[in-house]
Amino acid sequence: MPEQDIDLAVRVGPIAMKNPVATASGCGGYGEELAPFYDLSRLGAVVTKSITLRPREGHPPPRLVEVRAGMLNAIGLANVGLERFLAEKLPVLSRFDVPVIVNVAGSTLDEYVQVCRALDAADGVAGIEVNVSCPNVDRGGMEFGTEPAALARLVGAVRRQVSRAALLVKLSPNVTDVAEPARAAVDAGADALSLVNTLRGMAIDPWTGRPALANRTGGLSGPAVKPVAVYMVRRVWEQVAGPRSVPVIGLGGIQFPEDVLELLRAGATAVAVGTANFVDPETCVHLVDGLPGALVRLGVARVRDLVGRMETD
Amino acid sequence: MPDAATNPEQEVSPARRLDMPLLDRRDLGGEHVRLVLGGPADWVSRPGQFINVRCGPAPQAAAAGQRRPLDYREGGPWPRAAGLELRRRRLPLVRRPMSLSRLRAEADGVRIEVLVRTAGTGTRWLAGRDVGSALDVLGPLGSHFTPPAPDRMAVLVGGGCGTAPLVGLADWLAALGREAVLLVGAATADRLPLALEGRPEATGKRPVPCAVVAESEVRARTILATEDGSAGFAGTAVAAAERYLEREAAGRPVALYGCGPEPMLRSLAALARRREAPCQVSLEEYMGCGIGVCLSCVRKMRDPSSEAGWTYRLTCRDGPVVDAADIIWE
Repeated sequence: MPEQDIDLAVRVGPIAMKNPVATASGCGGYGEELAPFYDLSRLGAVVTKSITLRPREGHPPPRLVEVRAGMLNAIGLANVGLERFLAEKLPVLSRFDVPVIVNVAGSTLDEYVQVCRALDAADGVAGIEVNVSCPNVDRGGMEFGTEPAALARLVGAVRRQVSRAALLVKLSPNVTDVAEPARAAVDAGADALSLVNTLRGMAIDPWTGRPALANRTGGLSGPAVKPVAVYMVRRVWEQVAGPRSVPVIGLGGIQFPEDVLELLRAGATAVAVGTANFVDPETCVHLVDGLPGALVRLGVARVRDLVGRMETD
Repeated sequence: MPDAATNPEQEVSPARRLDMPLLDRRDLGGEHVRLVLGGPADWVSRPGQFINVRCGPAPQAAAAGQRRPLDYREGGPWPRAAGLELRRRRLPLVRRPMSLSRLRAEADGVRIEVLVRTAGTGTRWLAGRDVGSALDVLGPLGSHFTPPAPDRMAVLVGGGCGTAPLVGLADWLAALGREAVLLVGAATADRLPLALEGRPEATGKRPVPCAVVAESEVRARTILATEDGSAGFAGTAVAAAERYLEREAAGRPVALYGCGPEPMLRSLAALARRREAPCQVSLEEYMGCGIGVCLSCVRKMRDPSSEAGWTYRLTCRDGPVVDAADIIWE
């Protein structure tokens, strides 16, 4: 089977992606930052940095620390805010032939609602990805994503605002059973799920005793988390997404084409790549270029035929 | 007449990922190693900019589709011992930023010089690379020093390996026919990252010929300063600069340039304020991507347009070179 006959196209709800590779939120800026390195139109999708209603400066530095096979980040959702995003960033992204998924964060339900309403009305937004790993200010800072009832209320409220774009919910792994928030999100009307966000982690300098991050705790990402991502995507696939035909975008430690295959087999329809972009900004095009060869080796002509195909006997 | 390599109007090359061969490695003694990398003929960078270098095995295959952005293993069957630490050997994930020192054009491309201080796993790996091996580089990145106004003399103040970009700046200013003086400081004589052959230090208690540490020819008058007085002026580089300004540059308008440890930059900025001189400094921050994506390398900078009067700027994109007057010191 020649590589050019391989079909990489996938659909995440209404979003048609030419291949299953996307940039993850917070790891590709607003798109233009990676543009010097390759043509963004080569990607299956671009997921933007989280947007909040008002601009946010983010946490004081140090915001990032390298750990074994990964990194911890506590950026604090630094972003230009909705207004500047719509005026300055979205038009730049719209010049490329790639679906744009805008990640949305907030500290109150009302903030999410306002941002989602504005984004759904804007041109050039294929998907809205709700970041629920944010502290819910109205509930003492507990993450929306860790409380299924709060998550359901949030997704329900946002669902009412979003009719043009696809509605994705990005799940947090910092829960006892990720199937619970997954079910809550789908019940409340999510078109698709993306998981996993970063794992809560921390680093302390053994000699000074100081936390490495100014925020003390941060999110762990990179190769170290891939097994968690594979497990959680599989769990969600078996419990919720598979039976209810809800597409999943898998994230967590993807570096090589084989990792893409692994996440697909776990149950992802597409993947998003985060930390690897920091090490090699060209990672995503290498994945897109490497997938046909990997599928030829497997003898599978359409990448979407791999979704959920874990052999269990 | 400035050519493309030196013309201040010439724009720097857009950032890209490229493999750069290591053409020369010079151990400068102590913790410093000078590396010379080869770049393409169309590479244009300016002093103050940096490259972000992968400190791990070079990609194994050139063919797209086989390229691996991260390599944790060196041979071995699946499952890989990815990230497993064996006898404390650890290959870093995140790139290491290196300030560019001098730039030279050759017939077949450019030569760029970086000074590496072996501070940890990544830099030690880098410093041990064989000549002829390829380094995976992102660059050129960041903002750069700009020449002073026509009536001002450039006074360059470097601490430790912060001197490296200033040596490049001295080269550039010389090519532009601009006068400059370079002050280099360190705690002790053996911590000086470069010293000059046969040039006695000006100022200081006694002239002391320097041992040859590097063969660099700095194209500016150079003044050494050591805090313990073991070579040159006894004191900090900034104190030496202040004395130079009072004694030898009295009344002359100057522009200050600084690169080095934070306390040095802070006192240089204070000196600039006292002398009402413009001052550009190169900031150093822990970096992630180096290309303006991860938002990790932030510094508080003055921003009159913001409500709080300040905003976070990225050291990799809005720096490393900034106007010292804009820095909010904490």
